[in-house]
Amino acid sequence: MKKWLTVVLAVVLLLSACSSGGGNKQDSSSGGGNGGGDNGGSASGGKEAAEITIWAWDPNFNIKALNIAKERYSKINPDVKINIVENAQADIIQKLNTGLGSGTTTGLPNIVLIEDYRAQSFLKAFPDMFYELTDTFNAADFAEYKVGPTSVDGRNYGLPFDSGVTGLFVRTDYLAEAGYSPDDLQALTWNEFIEIGKNVKEATGKDMLSLDPNDLGIIRVMIQTAGKWYLDENGEKPFLAGNEALKEAFQLYKEMMEADIVKPNADWSQFVAAFNSGDVASVPTGNWINASIKAESSQAGKWAVVPIPRLAGQPGSVNASNLGGSSWYVLNVPGKEAAADFLAKTFGSDVEFYQELVTEIGAIGTYIPASTGEAYSAADPFYNGQKTIADFAKWTEDIPRVNFGAHTYVIEDILVVEMQNYLNGKPLDDALNDAQKQAEAQVR
Amino acid sequence: MDGSIQGVSVSAGKGVCITVSIRMRTRVTGWCFVIAAVVLICLFYFYPMIQAFNLSLKSGVGTNLQYVGFENYKRLFTDSNFITAVTNTFIYLIVQVPIMIILALLLSVMLNSDKLRLKGLFRTAIFLPCVTSLVAYSVIFKYLFANDGLVNLLLLRLSIIDRPIGWITDPFWAKVTIILAITWRWTGYNMIFYLSALQNIDRSIYEAATIDGASAFGKFTKITIPLLKPIILFTSIMSTIGTLQLFDEVMNITKGGPGNATMSISQYIYNLSFKYTPDFGYAATVSYAIVVLIVIFSYMQFRAAGDRR
Repeated sequence: MKKWLTVVLAVVLLLSACSSGGGNKQDSSSGGGNGGGDNGGSASGGKEAAEITIWAWDPNFNIKALNIAKERYSKINPDVKINIVENAQADIIQKLNTGLGSGTTTGLPNIVLIEDYRAQSFLKAFPDMFYELTDTFNAADFAEYKVGPTSVDGRNYGLPFDSGVTGLFVRTDYLAEAGYSPDDLQALTWNEFIEIGKNVKEATGKDMLSLDPNDLGIIRVMIQTAGKWYLDENGEKPFLAGNEALKEAFQLYKEMMEADIVKPNADWSQFVAAFNSGDVASVPTGNWINASIKAESSQAGKWAVVPIPRLAGQPGSVNASNLGGSSWYVLNVPGKEAAADFLAKTFGSDVEFYQELVTEIGAIGTYIPASTGEAYSAADPFYNGQKTIADFAKWTEDIPRVNFGAHTYVIEDILVVEMQNYLNGKPLDDALNDAQKQAEAQVR
Repeated sequence: MDGSIQGVSVSAGKGVCITVSIRMRTRVTGWCFVIAAVVLICLFYFYPMIQAFNLSLKSGVGTNLQYVGFENYKRLFTDSNFITAVTNTFIYLIVQVPIMIILALLLSVMLNSDKLRLKGLFRTAIFLPCVTSLVAYSVIFKYLFANDGLVNLLLLRLSIIDRPIGWITDPFWAKVTIILAITWRWTGYNMIFYLSALQNIDRSIYEAATIDGASAFGKFTKITIPLLKPIILFTSIMSTIGTLQLFDEVMNITKGGPGNATMSISQYIYNLSFKYTPDFGYAATVSYAIVVLIVIFSYMQFRAAGDRR
């Protein structure tokens, strides 16, 4: 009996050692044939591009958009097999860095979604690994602020996708209790926003917004209203000390924390839970939060969208900004021409496609001709009949163009530390000077 | 035992060859068994180590790496992120490892006593955390210790505190949370080592001590601990190495904590390689810094335990 058991154990050990040899056992959020997709995609790509693999995140947004595009493209070109693989964004970044860094192309997708803040870092780090898309679509058809981050030296490598145009989503019922209506909030400054927040807190006991101390997204939103960024205009050197917009943003952030109108959260799901459970009165963020706000259908009719506040102290600051937003990139692996064609015929030129994106997902692209379509002027019952898409499209045109550069996340990590120091009493100028020195040392 | 070709035996022609070949064959056979393991170790262990050192001498973005000599190593000393990561890791080391070892010792002594019933249940319960998935338990800890999580709820209800503690959002408490998580997980592991070592201690020593009038505390400090010294040394070195390489808990519970208050060295390496614009050369340098630290600490612990190395 014992001997038999030993034999069985040994065989099991041997089998498990052998089985992990075939195919990558990478972690991915919702599997979905990623093992087959990883290897199958590029391997059979050599046979004149019969199959392309696409990596993206967010099943409710990007993946849905891809599925719609896949359907539409299959009518134009039914021979191409399209594999859509979903992973979390952090996993995609990690796999891309590993794959591109090691120089091997097996396991890499044909098309990948990359956030605009990060795109330059990939384009500069791995210059030969991306396929130029300049001639496959008309860059002038896309919002100007998206074309910059997706190109290098005037050559387009990315096809712009979603608009990260920001808006201030507000709970009209909480505002009404404090005596405000959405019409009062059409051209706010951040100082006025904080005032409203204090009044709302007094009247309803609810916080005005929810923030994650490790994520300075709201700072990015604020400084982009003034056309500024963590880096200088060329996107090369850190521009923290002496950046007046950044200074004002920091001061406003501290004011918000001290006015006790902020509900802290530690990750994405807590952030979403804050407004889904009615604990906060507003959400100043990108329009893509729309899908998550609508997820709580019991709150239908209680929300409205107003323009994002601007920085009072910066001349030229406008009530329009951007947060996030990504674009499609084609990797320089077999199958690139088919991939480029797929992108060009769907995301690159199909006006009807963009209407479907709006009606099915609420996704707003940056394809300018699409805004003439009917979905863009539809009224949304969830927002009390407000024509939110039209509003967002209008604000998109006003977004100041900024060079994100390649180092946003490094600098943001440094700023997060200095923000904590500043909130604990360190003088603002010292905090920004220290951040500048660190950023210069870290950014090479 | 060496395969010398001498030893020509005085017998028929064939006999000579047989003697020689047996000795040679024994030697060659021995080498054949060993060579497979040696090749694999060199290929998968030493070769990557050398390549990593090679990489640490380069710097650059993504695949554009150029040789910069020891500049990466010089950069370590002025890199405030690195210094913070090392400080945090040391804090975990100095606070968590002694607490865990003492706790594991006490638990193992308690669970070794004859009078305790349900010993198997207790041992299993304390060892169970070690077999859980690192990521799974870290995520659960993150939710337990959230601002409106169960722990805060409990403390508030019992009126031990009047405002929720920011277990994850406060720089000090975030470190405490990480230390609690690591202790919860690894105490059982070390306890099992001590339990098995305790089984080897002769009962008669304890009986003799009792007859001589030693207290329980006296027995513990004067008999148990000295006899367990080799195993304590072993577990403390393993714990040191484990803590210096800490990654999973930090990444999943606090992601480096508010700012970089809980960032560990391994997490910094991950950030350098996958989160920021990748600088694989510098990341390799930081990983060699961990190697150096492990060597130093192991050496110190061997010396402190009084063993001749």
